[in-house]
Amino acid sequence: MSHITEEIKTSIQGVEPAEVSYPEKGYHYALEASLENLPDIVRFFDKKCFYLECLLCTDYTDTLELVYLFNTHLAPCRFKVTLKIDPQRPIAPSMSAIFDSAYWYEREIHEFYGVLFTGHPNMTYLFLHNDIHEYPLRKGKVPVPPEDKERLDSFKPGEQEDSFFINLGPQHPSTHGVLRVVLKMDGEYIEQAEPVLGYLHRMHEKMAENRSYQQFLPNTGRMDYLGPMSFNLGYVLAVERLCGIPVPERAKFVRIIATELNRICSHLLWLGAYLADLGALTPFLFVFDDREKIQDVLEGITGSRLTYCYFRFGGLYNDVDDPFIEGTKAVVKRMWSRFSLYEKLVTGNVIFINRTKGIGTITKEQARKYGVAGPVLRSAGIACDLRKVEPYSGYDELEVSFPVGEHGDALNTYKIRIAEMENSLRIIEQALAKLPGGPFMAEKVPKKLKPPRGDIYQVVETPRGELGIYIVSDESDRPVRMKWRVPSFSNLMIFPELTKGALLADAVAILGSLDLVIPEIDR
Amino acid sequence: MNTLSQFSSVLLFTVVAVLFALIPLIIAYLLAPRTKGRKTLATYECGIEPYGSAWIRFSIAYYVYALIFIAFDVDILYLFPVALSYTRGGAISEFYALVVFVLILALAVIYAWGKGVFVWKRKLSR
Amino acid sequence: MGERGFCLEKEIIPVKFAVVEKVLDLARANSLWPVTFGLACCAIEMMATSMSRFDIDRFGAGVFRASPRQADFMIVTGTVTKKMAPVLVTLYEQMPSPKWVIAMGNCAISGGPFVFEGQYNIVEGVDLLVPVDVYVPGCPPRPEALLEGLLKLEEKITGSRRFPRVESA
Repeated sequence: MSHITEEIKTSIQGVEPAEVSYPEKGYHYALEASLENLPDIVRFFDKKCFYLECLLCTDYTDTLELVYLFNTHLAPCRFKVTLKIDPQRPIAPSMSAIFDSAYWYEREIHEFYGVLFTGHPNMTYLFLHNDIHEYPLRKGKVPVPPEDKERLDSFKPGEQEDSFFINLGPQHPSTHGVLRVVLKMDGEYIEQAEPVLGYLHRMHEKMAENRSYQQFLPNTGRMDYLGPMSFNLGYVLAVERLCGIPVPERAKFVRIIATELNRICSHLLWLGAYLADLGALTPFLFVFDDREKIQDVLEGITGSRLTYCYFRFGGLYNDVDDPFIEGTKAVVKRMWSRFSLYEKLVTGNVIFINRTKGIGTITKEQARKYGVAGPVLRSAGIACDLRKVEPYSGYDELEVSFPVGEHGDALNTYKIRIAEMENSLRIIEQALAKLPGGPFMAEKVPKKLKPPRGDIYQVVETPRGELGIYIVSDESDRPVRMKWRVPSFSNLMIFPELTKGALLADAVAILGSLDLVIPEIDR
Repeated sequence: MNTLSQFSSVLLFTVVAVLFALIPLIIAYLLAPRTKGRKTLATYECGIEPYGSAWIRFSIAYYVYALIFIAFDVDILYLFPVALSYTRGGAISEFYALVVFVLILALAVIYAWGKGVFVWKRKLSR
Repeated sequence: MGERGFCLEKEIIPVKFAVVEKVLDLARANSLWPVTFGLACCAIEMMATSMSRFDIDRFGAGVFRASPRQADFMIVTGTVTKKMAPVLVTLYEQMPSPKWVIAMGNCAISGGPFVFEGQYNIVEGVDLLVPVDVYVPGCPPRPEALLEGLLKLEEKITGSRRFPRVESA
């Protein structure tokens, strides 16, 4: 890691990377960039095979700060590059030519903060719409100037002759939520796919700035309604890291068990929905049957069926009891026998293989440039699972293995998710065996949390991939900025690339294999 | 007159068939509630206004299927009188003539099959 | 319903017989086909209601139609944002009469947990856009609650309830 800092100091003028304490901050090095040397810095990271993990903006009232987070897949080495911009004339160079993942991040920052990225090919609305007259995430009321509104509103397909545009619209059984994709068709082949987001934009990031840390806890479950435990876990770990709250061992293991049960639920629903998209309606029923059994077990300790809010800062909401442990053991035993059923029903099916083999192949380079995460990344061949690479909450005490694919197509992604469910069962068995007694909540957690000044970046592995939470605190009880780097956003970025020239039916298969959950994209 | 009266059953059949279709429509027209909004008669496209007109050039791949369909539709039209003539008795040679006729038309399909009309490439390279 | 909401002409029925209407209402109530309008988290509970454990199909409502032209009622499950509002209204207008709306979940009833000072993007309740017949509260409501909402809708249509209500002792 340090050789990279040496190289960057020698190759680019005026750059001084400072080493920070990783357990406190969540990243390894911080460096300050300027408008002139930012393109060189980003190109340097691209050459060194880093990926752009996240690009966000924070409004500090007197200055706007752009934060670029770079990381490598195999050994964590996170660089935080900051760029300060003048809030009266916010302009920055666009990095979308170097890293494809910056393309949408920059559009998002433009419509929420008003930062103009020079050189960006398409600064139109991504989440918002033309009924919003102020930049939402700016601290004061900053109105949107008319020329910016015109630029944002300039996505008007259908102006050219001979192109057939079709909406894979917001109300569609196969888009897994309210996603709209505008497809430019040539017969049955797709020439270009342009996703339009924001149909479920529920202002989570603005709510975070208006709510205290405790009040924001229920929001985390609503962001990803299929894997709310992992979102809960990420948020709770981030705030605990920021405040330095220790977590007792028992709570750590219960968190692991609950999160892994939730992961199995999420993958099961993905399986049912994916096969329903491809036309197989039977597995949907089997899958929900399994899910109900797991949900019964989790309902016993959390009280809810879908949007859990079980973890608290410093531990859990309440302790687990014997019915939970017996129930979990029964669920695990039952799930082991179900995999052979899914194998017979789905994996060997000729129609299924024909519809998914060779469809939506992602290369390693594409996976790096777009910053994809989760099973999609692992099926492309990059062996990166954050539970092993950057362990958190007790995963380092367990033996975690994860499957890696070779081809990167939809069939591979399917097989990896099935194998991940089996791995989750093994993790649950290990955690149940190691579950210690003791308190389930840390002592002396303040009722009103006022974290120390600073920022922090926490990552967890959700069923869809890498979730990153960046919190900036200024010692008050509300965060200055809370940015959620969600895996479905980066996974959707690669969709237009994959569907160029594909059949429409294959586009639906590709969309399903990416396993998107729209509320976490729209936040 | 005799030949015409044979067709009276056909006439009765046609009238009953038409009534069978029309009576439920009339009942529904009289009994069902009707409302109309701004967008009720618009084309359904997942809730969004459809872009552009539908009168655009179609891809050539669809035309080939349509042509093959037309050819075989006409083929079947020719088979109907042949099927009716079997009741009046006939030699086996008529059957052989029919088989030859159908085989010649099937050659068109086999040619199209060989040329790869029925296989669509999974992905067009751009 | 305001300029954002739906706009329908008055419903006309040319011929109306009381007995025939009773039979028609019974027929409509026992085979209500919903349009798939799953927006957010409540959609998963709606899916769970249509699966084998809770089985909405035994009430006749199990055939979810993707196209509004073939559906009887719309279950609005989830938060309606201002970007989604015109889409919802278009879909409501494209449904043929008679049609009903169930607002499922707190977000569809009144904006839910996303109403805060300075909110700029959600519609606080779907009844600002379309007329709602039954409200099913919860975040998300249990599948049993959605079934109760369906039974209430049937009661609204026919005038009598399919099962007697179980009162807690």
